[in-house]
Amino acid sequence: MPFISKDWRSPGEAWVKTQEGWEKKKVLEHCKALKDSSDNLEESLNTETAIQPHCHITIKSTKEIAGFNELDEAVKRLDFRSAVRDVRRFNYICALLDLLIGQQMTALSGCAQKVLLAMLEEVARHATASQHNPRGFRQLLNNLRALRAAERSACWGGPLGSQMLWHQHTAKIEKILNMATQMQIKEPHPDTYPKLLHLPEECIREIILRLSDHRDLTSSAQSCEQMASIVGEQRVWRELTKFHFTPQQIDLVLPKDNEKIDWKDIYHSLKKTFGINEDRQYAEMLSLCRYCRCLFWRSLGHPCIADQCPEFRARLQEAGGITPP
Amino acid sequence: MPTLGTYKLQVQEKLLQVARLVNKCFKTQMPNIKLQSSDGETFEVDVEIAKCSVTIKTMLEDLGMDDEEEEVVPLPNVNSAILRKVIQWATYHKDDPPPPEDDENKEKRTDDISSWDADFLKVDQGTLFELILAANYLDIKGLLDVTCKTVANMIKGKAPEEIRKTFNIKNDFTASEEEQVRKENEWCEEK
Repeated sequence: MPFISKDWRSPGEAWVKTQEGWEKKKVLEHCKALKDSSDNLEESLNTETAIQPHCHITIKSTKEIAGFNELDEAVKRLDFRSAVRDVRRFNYICALLDLLIGQQMTALSGCAQKVLLAMLEEVARHATASQHNPRGFRQLLNNLRALRAAERSACWGGPLGSQMLWHQHTAKIEKILNMATQMQIKEPHPDTYPKLLHLPEECIREIILRLSDHRDLTSSAQSCEQMASIVGEQRVWRELTKFHFTPQQIDLVLPKDNEKIDWKDIYHSLKKTFGINEDRQYAEMLSLCRYCRCLFWRSLGHPCIADQCPEFRARLQEAGGITPP
Repeated sequence: MPTLGTYKLQVQEKLLQVARLVNKCFKTQMPNIKLQSSDGETFEVDVEIAKCSVTIKTMLEDLGMDDEEEEVVPLPNVNSAILRKVIQWATYHKDDPPPPEDDENKEKRTDDISSWDADFLKVDQGTLFELILAANYLDIKGLLDVTCKTVANMIKGKAPEEIRKTFNIKNDFTASEEEQVRKENEWCEEK
């Protein structure tokens, strides 16, 4: 029985301050309970009962449903912070941040800016600890430096908007850049056995075949002779080409007569003509269900309730394309 | 008084029940197999789990070792620590659907690693490479795939010097060779 005070109003919810802002106490306790139970290696059971991160987009606000389609809200709801630590989503998040910070940062609300910088800090922490994809991270840092420089020289020598907020931002940017300078590649213990080059050639080839970016191929070729000879193989470039382009596209540039095919050249000319498809680059992306207007992570599945109704599923099937996984 | 029809139905039902029970017994009594690592330790595992290794599977088929006799399969190329990990991985993935044959695209994605596998592979480099060797020798496609992806992820986004550092590789290019390789790639970039 809830406590109801004399004026018929309850004292309200208990709120707790967290890293990400204020949160209702009961929500936190619920999250904690979920987390504890998922630690017991029963993840598969619990993820089904837990509400997965998703973001509903309200297009029409009514009296009953007020729509908040703010970026910071979306970032919070889609659980971007923990997504940074997920190897499947890390690169996507880097790309998203790159886009937002590189082009849109100053056009965003102060709250969104704050959330983005907090996320960037999380990325920096993760990138320096795991040394995962330093190129993406460096790209972000360059954007950050450009942003800082641009804001210093903007509008009569100062940024528009709140001075206080920008002071906070510069402090945070400084912190992130500091973190980045301290980043060092950890070397394995010199006595560890086996090392990469002790592996038989077919194993190294398997590893190289799993690189999906030609820049990674060229830099591994530049690291040592053995790698260079494997990267130089036609098969590596042929599979890279087949991964990024459709057979129709490849047919267009394949030499007609029985000339010798150089797949490296073919890859580069296709890249120039068609560009690299974004869909193939990320293991995990955000998807939008057009029926329930819901943003969600593809691998976590479609969260809307309507989904359980077979009739709705049939309609989704008819509409095609956006079938929930 | 039951008619002949209902009686027949009852018998059928009973028979079905018996059949179900027998099936259940067979399922719960999965035969086990003993695997022996290079350092002499034996592991008892479910045959179905051991069969995710194509090497063991063909060995069993060729030698006809499905019989009841207690046979030990020696694996001279895998030590006990690694074999334990391999069995752990295979047990977790035993109910996985077989990978689609035609989907070449899936293989290339370095970061397409499930969170369990990512956690499982948070090991030192030596262990990681030994797992690759074991997966290659035992011919376990899924394990080879995920371990190679993990290594590929360590290469991703790094400069040549950083790759060398990450894997303790000695630069065996002469200065002129290095220059040549670099130029060759620059030319590709610009094209």
